[in-house]
Amino acid sequence: MLVMQRREGESILIGDNVEIRILAINGSRVKVGIEAPRSIPVLAREVHLVRAENLAAAEVSSPAAAAMVARLFRPGPPEKSRQAYVPTDKPGE
Amino acid sequence: MPRCLTKYQGEMEYEEQAALDFPRGLFGFETETRFLTIEQPALRPLVFLQSLSTPELCFICLPVFVVDREYCLSLRTEDLEAVGLPADRPLAIGTDVLVLAIVRIEPGRAGTANLLAPVVVNRQNSKAIQAVSLNQKHTHQAALPAPCEESEPVCS
Repeated sequence: MLVMQRREGESILIGDNVEIRILAINGSRVKVGIEAPRSIPVLAREVHLVRAENLAAAEVSSPAAAAMVARLFRPGPPEKSRQAYVPTDKPGE
Repeated sequence: MPRCLTKYQGEMEYEEQAALDFPRGLFGFETETRFLTIEQPALRPLVFLQSLSTPELCFICLPVFVVDREYCLSLRTEDLEAVGLPADRPLAIGTDVLVLAIVRIEPGRAGTANLLAPVVVNRQNSKAIQAVSLNQKHTHQAALPAPCEESEPVCS
């Protein structure tokens, strides 16, 4: 990884079209300004990870696999009933 | 009572008050703002997070404590305020808020749970958000215990 030291107000150029500027430094937080063409997606890394994870989770999770996961935590005979989970103090009602 | 089509449970009735409002949707699903949590006794502790506008969209979730007994909620003030939660005092998971981790299950891969971006439901007003945890130890692919199919009783 290329490591560069920058001060507040200084910039880094990536290629011809992307500029990253250090706008402010406050303790452990750094405010960064990014100028890039609209065609280049700019996302916080964790947002990118979570988005991809959500898409994968929605795509592949199957009832059979879910049942398998449920058994990891709660072995027991299957039951038939089902219910909407109402977030109250009595979720079983 | 309103009815909805679900991905895993067919058509079902639900109580209007059980519908959750996600003002910002979920990451990658920003237009999905209404969900229902569904529990099936046989599949506890799983919680199904079913979209009310897209029947084929349903996330399979686990309460965070099932995945990590020590889980501690750490969110940005603006995320808490977006669902009307106080930022100035610790929240009791299970009492003030329902906190779920979306599970990813696919063949040939050990199941994982997303502890990096839990789904947080304010139980007082049914508003919910998926927010990125500030705790850097929380990963988007926390391991679940490996399944051991051989030891399972065969039900047919």
